[in-house]
This record gives sequence, C-alpha cells and structure tokens, in this order.
Amino acid sequence: MNPSIIGQMAVSGALMGLVYALIAYGFQLTYATSKSINFGQGELVMVSAFFSLTLTNLGLPYWLMVPGGLLFGALLGLVVERAGVRLALEQKSEGWILLSIILGLFFFSAAENIWGRDDRPFPTPISADPIHVFGVDVTRLELSVAVGVLAIMGLIELFKRRTLLGKAFEAVSADRDAAELMGISATRTVMLSYALSGVVAALAGILVSPITTVGPTMASALILKAFSVAVVAGLDSGFGVVLIGMALGALESLASFYLGSGWREAPGLTLLILALAVRPTGVFGKAVIRKV
Amino acid sequence: MLIVDDLHAGYGASEVLVGTALTVKPGAVVALIGANGAGKTTTMRAVSGMLRPSRGRVVLDGKDVQGLDASRIARLGLAHSPEGRKVFGPLSVEDNLLLGAYGRLPKFLGFKSGAQADLDRVYGLFPRLKDRARQAAGTLSGGEQQMLAIGRALMARPKVMLLDEPSMGLAPVIVQEVFRTIRRLKEEGITLLLVEQFAKSALEVADYAYVMERGRIAVEGTPEELGRNERVIAAYLG
Repeated sequence: MNPSIIGQMAVSGALMGLVYALIAYGFQLTYATSKSINFGQGELVMVSAFFSLTLTNLGLPYWLMVPGGLLFGALLGLVVERAGVRLALEQKSEGWILLSIILGLFFFSAAENIWGRDDRPFPTPISADPIHVFGVDVTRLELSVAVGVLAIMGLIELFKRRTLLGKAFEAVSADRDAAELMGISATRTVMLSYALSGVVAALAGILVSPITTVGPTMASALILKAFSVAVVAGLDSGFGVVLIGMALGALESLASFYLGSGWREAPGLTLLILALAVRPTGVFGKAVIRKV
Repeated sequence: MLIVDDLHAGYGASEVLVGTALTVKPGAVVALIGANGAGKTTTMRAVSGMLRPSRGRVVLDGKDVQGLDASRIARLGLAHSPEGRKVFGPLSVEDNLLLGAYGRLPKFLGFKSGAQADLDRVYGLFPRLKDRARQAAGTLSGGEQQMLAIGRALMARPKVMLLDEPSMGLAPVIVQEVFRTIRRLKEEGITLLLVEQFAKSALEVADYAYVMERGRIAVEGTPEELGRNERVIAAYLG
C-alpha cells in the first residue's frame, strides 16, 4: 500500500463526503423544528440539480444559476412541508414518513418524464485540473464542494445564533409550545426549516453534479449515505455530520480502491448498522431517534 | 382587560372546563385557586390558545381571540408564563428574554437595542438574571428559572399576563421572593391572572379571586369576602 495513494484517496473521498454531510444537515434542520425529516430529500437534490442544469442550458451564467437553483430548492422544500408534513404533524401522526417517500417517488417520475432517464454532464466554469496541496492532488471542483458546503452551513449556523429569527428557530426546537407563547409561529418556523433544508439539498446537487453527472438515480445513491451520516452523527450536531461525512467519504473511496468498486457501499451500511445497534442516538447526538 | 365566558375545553373526549367565566379588569391582580384537577391550568391554556376551546368566548382588550393560534394571541398582548416555567434550556438567559419581546422586535439584526429598556427593567427586578445573562437557561436553579419565566413574559409589555403556579417546586424562601415580585408588579400596575396552589399567599396579593371546582367557578369575591366564606376556609385556607 502506497501511503501517498491512501492519502490521495482519503482526501478526495472526504471532500465528496461533505456532500453527504450537507444532505444530512438538511435532515437536522427539519428535525430540529418538527421532529420530522424528508425521506425524499435525495429526490430534492436530483430535481434541483436538473433544474439548475436547465437554467445553465438556457444560457444563465453560473453565478445566476446558483441562486436560481437554491431558490427552486427552497420552493420544493416548501412543497414537501405543505403536501407531506403539515397535516401529519397537526394530527400528531407519523404519516409524514410515508408521505415524504411518496412525494419523493413523484419527483422521481416527474424528473424521468421531463429530463429523461440518462445521466447527463453538468457543465461548470470551475476547472477540473488538479492542484497540488500538502502532497495530494485535489481538483478545484472538489475544493468548490468543500467551500460551498462549509460556507452554507456556516451561514445557517450564524443565522441561528445572531438573528432574532434564528433564535426563534432555536426556541421552537427547544420547546414548541413555549415558543408559540412568545408570539413565534411554530408553523412558519417549520416552513422556514423545510425551505432551508431544500436550499441545502439544491446546493448539494449543484456542487456534486459536475463531478458525478446528473441523473434520476443519483437520488437513491446519495440519500442512503446521507442517512447513514445522519444516524451515525446524530440529528442535532452540525459539526458531527461534517466529521462523519468526511470519514465516510474517505472510507468509501478507500474501500472501492482496495477491495473493488462493488465494496463502495459497504462502509456506509456497516456504520449505519453499527450505530443503530450500539448508539442509536448517534455519536454526537442527544435526540433519541424514535424507532418506527 | 380579559373577559372569559362560558369556556369549555378539554383533552380528547374528556371535558375539563364546563363553562368557566371570569373577568380580569385593567390593573387588577386576580387569583384563580382551587384543588388539583379543578381546571385552573386548563383555563390558562384555553385562554392563551395552547388548547383550543370547544365552546365559549375569550375577549382580550375588546377582541375575540378564542380559537386563534397561541402565537397570534401572544402578539395581541397576552403573555402566558406557563406551568413548569418552560424556559428555552439550551438558549442563554438573555436570548430567552429577547424572545419574550419577539413580536415587536426586528427579526434579523438590531433587535437588542430595541429591547434594551425592557432588558434593563427585568434585570432591575431580577439582578441575578443579569449576572447569568450569558448562561444557558437550563443550567439555572428552579427559582432562577421562575424569575426568568416571569421576566420573559414582562418583556412582551403585555396587556394581560397569565402566571401559572409560579411557586411550584420551589423552596419556601424562594416562594416568598416570588410573591414579593408579584406585589411589586402589582404596584407597577400590571394586569395579572394568577393561578396558585398556595391559596393564602395568592389571596394576600389579589384584588379579586375565583375558586374553581370541577371545571367551573364555584365561588368568587374579594379576598375579604372569600376569607369569611366557611366553605372556602374549610377547603383551601384551613
């Protein structure tokens, strides 16, 4: 085993792992306010990526396409909240699980019908030429993933800590009833969390697509890993998902290099099963994941 | 001014309130006393919108508010400091207070300067909260959390304040402190509906009082009148 190859594989895997972390962070945002997550989050990533691709093909420059794609993601998040989550939560039922899966299937079929079943390249002005950092080669594309993921997570965390609306978001997470008594609308806060969750899903799609291509099947590939990351890290630590996401990405990349590409999924699933067996609240988690 | 009339509410099929009626006049401190399970807390919850009444009227400052979301009723000027205090544990003491004034502050930046006068007032009432401003509210003692819950409700500059069981689970010396605070708020002219287990202390501070039994008002009157009522004395003041 050549250490420089190990390093190389680990670093590019870890950078990809940040995409899983970002999708898992989207789970955390909605779990915080409503104890619900969107099981169709992968489809949000995929549909937003396709939409952004269409914007690009229409001739929009990258710096206009990105906000357009993020806005579209926010709208999709709001659709999921309104159509899949709100009624179930009002009736204190777990129906959001099934409804969010169904909405995901709907988005999947819609994407196949609108954009076709084939994987398509996603053009980007960011160069794929490698640059040499600390003895390993990373591409600007891979670095753009890291910068994008950490920037949006940083911005959202800053919003939660520094603005009154963000503090209201935290208040709803801490005690929904008490937040209502302060004049904070819990319903609107849940909407906000779903919109933000849609934004991070869209950004994940925009960042990962130039590397992996866009296609309807990208949803299921990403969601499983994001879910592993969320379960292993727990549903309330943003720092945790970044760390676990990078670790999972590195492990995956090493497994597929040394054991063959068929083993690529093994680390994620192994970690998922281990976490559920040993520490269902996640390594960094306080919230108990209810078994349903 | 708060008027409650023929209020019915409950949990699922069981009706807890069966026609509660009471009035809190501006600047008055009104006590609501009664045995456990009489419906005192349920009355508070139905008034503030935490629980949707199935029938009846709640009028806040001339406006019908029954059936509205709790957040709407709060923004219309009702501050409910709930049973069990319900402070935001992970948030700092100061953030808890600022959120008390949520309805009238800018939502993004510059919110603290808009609330500075109210913060100073609450810190004046409860100097200990100022010492612990940056601390997570969940780490405070029970008494401090109660002060924070009252302070948070005051931050809203409410037209009417509901205070549910402020003495619950507190040491006697802290309970005295809580009642001293209530007396001070009364001098400042706050309009307050107070639910209390300690009927005697509640009657000492109140201008008017209602006694609840099985979901409705059984007896009402000034503290002096209730103090002469044989039934009230036997059941609650003995």
